[in-house]
Amino acid sequence: MPFINFATKEINCKIVYYGPGLSGKTTNIKWIYDHIKPENKGEMITLATETERTLFFDFVPIEVSNVKGFKVRFHLYTTPGQIIYQASRKLILKGVDGVVFVADSQEERHDANLDTLDDMLENLKEYDIDIEDLPLVFQYNKRDLPNVLPVEVLRRDLNRWNRPDFEAVATKGIGVLETFKEISRQVLQKLKK
Amino acid sequence: MLSLRPEEDEKLRELLTELNRESKSKIVLLIDKAGQLISRSESPAFSSDDITFASLTAGNVAASEALSKLLGDKNLNHMFTETEDEGIYMILIDDKYILVSIFDKNASNLGIVRVKIKKYYGKLVELLRQIEERIESESSVTEQIDVEDIDLDTLFE
Ligand SMILES: Nc1nc2c(ncn2[C@@H]2O[C@H](COP(=O)(O)OP(=O)(O)O)[C@@H](O)[C@H]2O)c(=O)[nH]1
Ligand SMILES: [Mg+2]
Repeated sequence: MPFINFATKEINCKIVYYGPGLSGKTTNIKWIYDHIKPENKGEMITLATETERTLFFDFVPIEVSNVKGFKVRFHLYTTPGQIIYQASRKLILKGVDGVVFVADSQEERHDANLDTLDDMLENLKEYDIDIEDLPLVFQYNKRDLPNVLPVEVLRRDLNRWNRPDFEAVATKGIGVLETFKEISRQVLQKLKK
Repeated sequence: MLSLRPEEDEKLRELLTELNRESKSKIVLLIDKAGQLISRSESPAFSSDDITFASLTAGNVAASEALSKLLGDKNLNHMFTETEDEGIYMILIDDKYILVSIFDKNASNLGIVRVKIKKYYGKLVELLRQIEERIESESSVTEQIDVEDIDLDTLFE
C-alpha cells in the first residue's frame, strides 16, 4: 500500500524481491545500491547470518524527485530464502506494492523456484492481495552458469501471468536495472488508477 | 491507500512533538506496520536515518508478534528495547500503526514515557480514524500527482 504525504510531497512504495535461497536477491539490490547516486539513497541494511545468508531481510531506501515536485521513495526489501524462514517471508510481504520474483535458472534449483512461488501465492492470499492486481516482474538469474534451463521452460512454469520478464546475471549487473525499472514503472502506473 | 493532507500532517506532527516534549524523549515516531514512516516529532537533534529506523522497527515488531503467537499469546501490545544509554519503547495502535519513543535514560524513563503516551493515545487514535475516514470517502487522490515525468534514469551514476 503506497503512502502519500501531501504536506511533504512524498510517495512511499514497497517493492519486495522474492525467490528461493541463493537465487541472487541480495545481489540484485546490492548492485542497485552501489550504482545509485549518493543523494538518492539512504542506508542499506542487511540482517544476515554468519554465513552471509539473509536472515530476516535486506532493505534499501531509494529516493527520486520528479519535475512536479513529488518525491517518490522506493523501499526495496529482499526475503530470506530458506524454508525455516517462511514466517519472515510473510511478514515482509505486508503492505507490498510490487514483487520481483528472482528465479535461479539452474536446473537443480527449479524445484526450489516452484516451491517458493507456491509459498508466495499462499502468503499473498493470506493478505488478500490479488496477484492479477499486483505489479509483478520475473527475473531468470544466473544465466552465466552452464546448467541452466531454457528461458521458455522457466517462463512456462513460473510466469503464468505473462508478466514482463528478464534474463539476468546479477553478479555482473546484467538485467538488474531493467528489472528494477520495470517494477517501478508498474508500481507508479498503478498509483494512477 | 494511505495518504496525509497538509493539515493532517501538521496535526500529527504537533501531537507527536507535544508528546515528545512532555515525555522528555529524543524523538517520537509514528510508523505503519509495513515499515513506512508516517510522521515524527520535530526533533532536530535526532540524527539517525529515520526511514531505516522505521523499517527495522516494523521488522522487529513483526518478529516479536510472530514470537508471541508461537508462544500461544495472542496479541503483542508493546515492546521495550534498551541500549546502554537509550530506551526504545514501542506500542501498537489499532494493530496497524506503531508509536515509538526513543529516550535518553538520563533524561527520562519508561514510567514517564508510558504515562505520557497514555495521555495522548486517545487523541492520536481519534486523529488516525479521522484520516482513515477521509481516505475512504475520497474516490481518488492520485489524479493530483503526475507520475508521468518521473525519470528513473537520473537515479544512477
Ligand atoms: N554465477 C552467478 N552467481 C550469482 C549470480 N547472482 C548471484 N550469484 C551468487 O549466488 C550466491 C547467492 O546470492 P544472494 O544474492 O546472496 O542470494 P539470495 O539468497 O537470493 O539473497 C552468491 O554467492 C552470489 O554471488 C549470477 O547471476 N551468476
Ligand atoms: Mg539474501
